[in-house]
Amino acid sequence: MYLAELLAGALAIGCVYSLVALGFAMIMRATSIIHFAQGELLMLGSMSGLSTLWLLPKLPAVAVLICGMVASGILAVAMEFLVYRPLRLRRVALMNVITATVGMSILCINAARLLWGSEPLRYPELFSTSAYRIAGVPVSPQLVWIMAFGVVLMGLLQLFLKRTRTGLVMQAVAQDAEVAQLMGANLTRMMLYTFAIAGMMAGAAGVMFGSLFFSFFEMGFLLGIKGFVAATLGGLGSLAGAMLGGILFGLIETFSAVYVSSAYKDAIGMVLLIAILLFLPSGLVGLWKARG
Amino acid sequence: MPEALLEAAGLSRRFGGLAAVDAVDLRVERGAIHGLIGPNGAGKTTLLNLIAGALAVTRGTVSFRGADITRWDAARRAQAGIRRTFQNLKLFAEMSALENASIGLHAGTHAGIFAALARTPAQRAEEERIFARARRALEFVGLGGDAGVAAGKLPYGHRRLLEIARAFVAEPALILLDEPAAGLNQTEAANLSRLIGRIRDAGCTVVLVEHHMDVVMSVCDQVTVLNYGRKLAEGRPAEIQRDAQVIEAYLGRGDAPPSKHALA
Amino acid sequence: MESARLKRSLTGIVLLALAALPLFEPHQFVLHMLSLVAISATAALGLQLLLGFSGQLSIGQAAFYGIGAYASGLLSAKLGMPFIVAFFAAGVIAAVVSLVMVPITRLTGAALAVATLGFSILVYLVLKNEEWLTGGSFGLMGIPRASLFGYVLAKPAYAYLLCVAVAAAVYLSLLRLQRSRFGRAINAIRQNEDAARACGVKVTLLKSQCFVIAAFVAGLAGSLYAHQVRYLAPTDFTFWKSVEILIMVVIGGMGSLFGAVLGAAVVVLVPEVLREVGDYRMLIFGAILMVVMLFGEGGIAGFLEQCLRPFSKPRA
Repeated sequence: MYLAELLAGALAIGCVYSLVALGFAMIMRATSIIHFAQGELLMLGSMSGLSTLWLLPKLPAVAVLICGMVASGILAVAMEFLVYRPLRLRRVALMNVITATVGMSILCINAARLLWGSEPLRYPELFSTSAYRIAGVPVSPQLVWIMAFGVVLMGLLQLFLKRTRTGLVMQAVAQDAEVAQLMGANLTRMMLYTFAIAGMMAGAAGVMFGSLFFSFFEMGFLLGIKGFVAATLGGLGSLAGAMLGGILFGLIETFSAVYVSSAYKDAIGMVLLIAILLFLPSGLVGLWKARG
Repeated sequence: MPEALLEAAGLSRRFGGLAAVDAVDLRVERGAIHGLIGPNGAGKTTLLNLIAGALAVTRGTVSFRGADITRWDAARRAQAGIRRTFQNLKLFAEMSALENASIGLHAGTHAGIFAALARTPAQRAEEERIFARARRALEFVGLGGDAGVAAGKLPYGHRRLLEIARAFVAEPALILLDEPAAGLNQTEAANLSRLIGRIRDAGCTVVLVEHHMDVVMSVCDQVTVLNYGRKLAEGRPAEIQRDAQVIEAYLGRGDAPPSKHALA
Repeated sequence: MESARLKRSLTGIVLLALAALPLFEPHQFVLHMLSLVAISATAALGLQLLLGFSGQLSIGQAAFYGIGAYASGLLSAKLGMPFIVAFFAAGVIAAVVSLVMVPITRLTGAALAVATLGFSILVYLVLKNEEWLTGGSFGLMGIPRASLFGYVLAKPAYAYLLCVAVAAAVYLSLLRLQRSRFGRAINAIRQNEDAARACGVKVTLLKSQCFVIAAFVAGLAGSLYAHQVRYLAPTDFTFWKSVEILIMVVIGGMGSLFGAVLGAAVVVLVPEVLREVGDYRMLIFGAILMVVMLFGEGGIAGFLEQCLRPFSKPRA
């Protein structure tokens, strides 16, 4: 029973990482930027979701999730439009763009502290507290819903990217911006879409994480890094890899916390990260491709 | 038979399923200017990269001065006396022309971190030697006036010459020139031909990959023709120009045949 | 005046002014802040070598800074070693640890950044969890003040002079390296690895040498920090410290040693100056960072260079 609960927890947190990693991977593919403010988008989504709940306590969980996504999506678009796009237009060196994203991250963290204070904030119960029984095993509804949300969101993203015209153009831009532009793609708009989607994914992850634990102005930092590790694990810049990497990282972290050492659970992730970078530079997806 | 400086035997390189260079034997004699020609995509640059160590060999061996260097990396080959230029210009854009040339002397010089920190007399003397030689190399290729100019700010033709100066500065035994005449006008190309001759006269053996047939036919002692990664013909320039297979390869591809006047 | 000589005389003047500062008996707090600037500048100089010269992006310098600080603190507080021994040991230990990480210098760009970041987090966790050694979250206390030849540098002015002296020594050393065969080679690697290799430069070796030197310098800076603040907590060496050091280099101007020092001054002092505005200060700092990135490509050093240009003839 304990194992089932643990597995559900690992998969749920894995979904959170996957969503953050997806955002990282999308931005990295389209712009080569390591977007350090990705974790802060998550935090702001989490905070926005919570604030809507304070205003409308009866709101269903799905609506809260959408509020968080919309808020982070808008913020991400604002970042792209006000900061990153001007940087690109001025052809600023990549290092400087990355530093600017750190500045953005500092700005967001401190704005959040002014708005929401520096105490961790608890989410009200979004889901029923009585356990679901899945195949006779009791599992907390919260975890089930989070996994469901995560899977649905990732599925929708895949559908969007593979089946809609806009999605296909975005893929093309990510693969080769120049050629895509020659074929008539509007780069500026595609970048905005990329950031909007990356923001929405982070916002959803924020609401999901907040409902599991709490919301906190500094939460984005470590979650952002873990999302990044997950993206690397899967293979930097690969979307399927990001999703896989997130789930895998959730599993590794949860189980190593229990069976190895809870103090060093983050360390295990980092050792894994370095090992993968060294010995499997294109991540798990690279391994898959090399064999296939 | 004159002594071979460089020998490649059965050299192959595959990219996925494609054989870019396929079982090529090559023998470059000491003191020769050896041309490598062929239609676009024939594997000339790949072969050059295999000799320079920039690409790993799939099959076959490369030997230099009698030693098997197949497994050596690019830096080690450079140190042993194989230097090259790049077709698409790989200069250190922010450095001055003089500094660019000085990097060419890195392998032959020794001062390390501690010598630099202590500014030992030996280190300072070495620095002076480096810059004196680099300056001479610039003058040799005709860039004496551009020593202080950042490489990225030089006009195109001068950048091509700087590539050559950087490769020549250490007076290597073998120098690999990858399309040095690309983008040059007639006068510049003629000057280049003379420069290549002077490089050989200074004691370097030259392997020249070139599309510019005026240059190839006027300076080369020996020419190897590649097509689809395989060796198609080999011989003196005059023989190559008459070779039916070679003309066929060029015409078949829609490229200009290697006549005296063709500019591919 | 020739540009290089102009710079050299400016450097001399700045150093003299810094050395003479205690004569004007500034407030203790001012001296403390300036000491912290010198310490940060030292760490930033190390990263400038790694990033600005050799082109390797590390966001893990806090790891080596922290290792140096704890090494020096432990050696002097627990084993009673004299400062000068602990100081150099701190650098050496940081450098030795960095040797373990040397394989990652094979990585480039984002991958290297992430690997150093991961290492930085690892070190933080060790500092936090190995209570028997580091005191864990409670921190490491009882670190003595720095001392030289048996004299304890009790006055803030002396501690300040020590920090400035170390920063200046590192600055001048790296300047020498920059203008040497080694410096030119790593610069070449940054601009074009393939071409550097074709010139016979052992790219991997030189890159790892830079990595180790940067770690050594960060270790020295950490030691100074330990004896300046005399209390260490793991939270001083989080990922944010790495980012701070990186910001110093980028704001100051990539590739410029003087820029790294200026960047350190900005990062340490601006939040202090903004203390007036209380809660808004980091907010403003973040905004400043973005604006500098947007409008000042060459950082502060690049900006100053442009200002100085009318006064100097270009180098022939």
